[in-house]
Amino acid sequence: MRRWPIATVLVALLLAACGSPGGAPASGAQTDLQLLLFGGPDEVAGYQAMTAEFEGANPDVRVTVTPVANQDDLLAKLATSFAAGSPPEVFLINFRKYGQFAAQGVLRPVQDYLDASDVLSEDDFVSAPLETFRFDGERLTCQPQNVSSLVVYYNFDLFEERDVPLPDDGWTWDAFLAAATALTGDGTYGLGTEPLLIRLAPFVWSNGGEVTDDQVAPGTLTLDEGPAREALDFFLDLSLEHGVVPPDVEEQSENAEARFMRGGLGMYLNSRKSVPNLRGIEGFRWDVAPLPVAPGGTPATILHSDAYCISEGTGKEDTAWRLIEFAMSTHGQELLAESGRTVPSRVDVLASDVFLEPDLPPASAFVFADNAQIARATPHTSKWLQVENAADDILEAMFYGRIDREEGMRRLVSDTAPLFGSGG
Amino acid sequence: MSTKSTAHRTAWSRPSTAWLLIVPFLAGMAFLLFVPAAANLGYAFTDHVGFGRPAFIGLGNFRRLWSDPFFLASLRASLAFVLIAVPLRLLAASGLGIALARPVRSNRWRRILVYLPTVMPEITLSLVFLWLFNPLYGPINGLLGALGLPEPVWFASGWGARWAIIVMMVFPIGEAFLVVMAARRDLPGELYEAASVDGASSWQMLTKITLPSLAPLLLLLAVRDTILSLQVNFVPAYLLTDGKPANATLFVPVYIYDQAFEFLGFGYGAAITVLLLAVTTSLVTVQLVLGWRWYRRRA
Repeated sequence: MRRWPIATVLVALLLAACGSPGGAPASGAQTDLQLLLFGGPDEVAGYQAMTAEFEGANPDVRVTVTPVANQDDLLAKLATSFAAGSPPEVFLINFRKYGQFAAQGVLRPVQDYLDASDVLSEDDFVSAPLETFRFDGERLTCQPQNVSSLVVYYNFDLFEERDVPLPDDGWTWDAFLAAATALTGDGTYGLGTEPLLIRLAPFVWSNGGEVTDDQVAPGTLTLDEGPAREALDFFLDLSLEHGVVPPDVEEQSENAEARFMRGGLGMYLNSRKSVPNLRGIEGFRWDVAPLPVAPGGTPATILHSDAYCISEGTGKEDTAWRLIEFAMSTHGQELLAESGRTVPSRVDVLASDVFLEPDLPPASAFVFADNAQIARATPHTSKWLQVENAADDILEAMFYGRIDREEGMRRLVSDTAPLFGSGG
Repeated sequence: MSTKSTAHRTAWSRPSTAWLLIVPFLAGMAFLLFVPAAANLGYAFTDHVGFGRPAFIGLGNFRRLWSDPFFLASLRASLAFVLIAVPLRLLAASGLGIALARPVRSNRWRRILVYLPTVMPEITLSLVFLWLFNPLYGPINGLLGALGLPEPVWFASGWGARWAIIVMMVFPIGEAFLVVMAARRDLPGELYEAASVDGASSWQMLTKITLPSLAPLLLLLAVRDTILSLQVNFVPAYLLTDGKPANATLFVPVYIYDQAFEFLGFGYGAAITVLLLAVTTSLVTVQLVLGWRWYRRRA
C-alpha cells in the first residue's frame, strides 16, 4: 500500500503541471485584453497609467500590459504567441518590423475602424507614419502611436566652451563637420553615432539619393553610386578621414549614449528614445538640433515610428479598437507624452506644452515636431529586416575600417541583394 | 527488519509500480522531445511561418541552405567553435579533475572555485566576460599590455570575438570536472603504489595508468561536449556579439533563432535544425569510430 501515496503525488504533480494556464477565469461580461509592447520603465509606466484610465472608463474591459525589454524580444514573443494561436489582442511595433506580420494576414487593418470612429479622424494625425503603416499602400494596417525621428543631441556647454556656433535650422554638412572637428580633442570626440543604415539614410536623402531602388517593392540597395555614394562617403569619412567619432576600441569600451552623458561627446545622433536617459544629466546643458543638410540638398530625417496593431481572429478586435481609440485620443496621447519618451502622432498634442515641456530639456523639443513634417521611412516589406541587419554588419565594418571601403560598397549591394526576395 | 525489507523490494519490483513511476518521465519525453522533434522534421519540408497553414515545398528549404551565405557562415562558425572549444573544455575538466582528486583539505576550496562558473547563470557569466574583454578597461587587455603584448579589440574582429566566447565557455565545466574527479578516485590505489615501487614518475603514472583507465569516460565526455557545444554557445553569442562581427559568431543556434523568431522563417529554421542534428550525428560518429579503433588497437 505504501507505494500508492508516492505514485499519487507524482500523478497529481503531473496533472497540476498540465493544468490550464492563467489565473482566475474572467467573469461573464468582462473582456480581457493583452497589450504587448517594448520600452523602458518610464515608458511602461506611461502605458500602465493610460490603460488604468481606460479601465476606469470601461469597466467591462481588463487590460494586461506585457512589457518586454527590446524590439528583438518583442518579435520573438509575437512569433511564438502567434504560433501558439494566442497572440496579444493589441501590440506596439516599429514600422520596419510589422511588414512580416502584415504579409501573413494576421493583422486586422484599422482603416474601417478609424473611418467609423466618432473620436478619431485621420486629420488628427501627422501624415508620414500613416503612410508607412499602410501595408498595401491603401488601407491603414496599424494605428501609428508616435512620430519620433533622428536628431542631433548636442552638449550646449561644450559648444560654448570651444566657441563653436550652435547648430541651427538648415545648418550644412560643412558646418556639422567643422563643429565635430572643433569638439574633438582634449578627451572628447565631436560626434557619436551607431553606423547603422537608419542613421545613414537621412544623409543619403538630404543629398538627393535613395537607399533602395524602389520604396514599395525594393530589389537592391543603391548606396554604391551617385548622390547616395557621396553621402555614404561623407558618413564614413567622419570616422576614417576626420577621426571625429570614437574609434573602434573606444566605441567597444563605452557606447555613445554613455559617453555623451558623461560629457565625452559634443554631438550624438539618436531618436527621441534617449530623452528619458539624458534628462539624468546634471553636469552640463544639452539640447537637440535637426540633422545637417547636404550642400545644395534638402532637409531630411528618418522616421522612428511605432503603431498599435490588432491581431486578427481573436474575436476581440472591436474591444481592442476601443483601447486604441482611447490611447489615441488627446488625453490618451497626453498621458504617454508625459513619459518624455514619446513624440505623439496627434498634431494637437505634438504642438502642446504637454509634449514640448518648456521646463525640461530639450529646450528645442519643437525640432521633433518640425521633423514630423519631413521624416521619411525606409521600406517596410516583409524582408526588410533581414536586409537591414546584413547591411548594418557591413556598414559597421566599413565605418571602423575593418574592411576596405570599395569591398564594403560591393558587399553592401551583393550580400543584401538575395535577401530582398528570400523565402521563409 | 528483513521481512519489511523483502516486502519493500517486492513492491518496487512489481511491473505496475515501475511503469506508474516512469510514466511522468516518458510523458515528458514524448511531449517535450519526441513530438516537437517529429513536428520539426515535418515543418522542415514546408514554408511554415509559425502560424496559418504551411504548404509543402519538398526540399526547397534544404536547397536554399546551400546558396545561403549566412547559413554557410554560421556552419563554419559552429564547426570552428566545436573544434577548438571541445578539446579545451575537455582538457580543462580532465586536468583539473585529476589534479584536484586527492582528498586533501586544501583541495576543497579549489573544487568550489572550479565548479562556481557552472552554477552562475549564463547571462551573469556573459556580462562578466563582457567586462573582462573590454578593450580599454578590461583586466585581460590590461594584463596583455603589462606583458608588452598586443591588446586586441576583441569584439571587433571575427576571431577575436570567437576566442572571447571560447575562453568564456572553457569555464563552465563543472559537470565533466566532477565526473572525471570521481572516476579518478575510483581507480585502485594499488596500481599507483606498484608503479611507484617500480620507479615510475608522475608523468608516467598519468600517461600509462590514469589516462588509459579514464579513456572510455573521456570519450563519453567528448561526445557529450560536442553535442553540447553545438548548442550551448547560444546565450553568450546572443548577448555578447549577436552573431557579429561579419557573422563570425553567428553560430547555428543563433541563426536558427533569428530565422524562426525574428524573420518568421519557422520552416527554414526547422530545416537548419535537421541539418544541425545531422552534423552533430556525423561528428559524434567520427568520435566513436576513432575511439573504438583506438580501443581495439590497445586491446
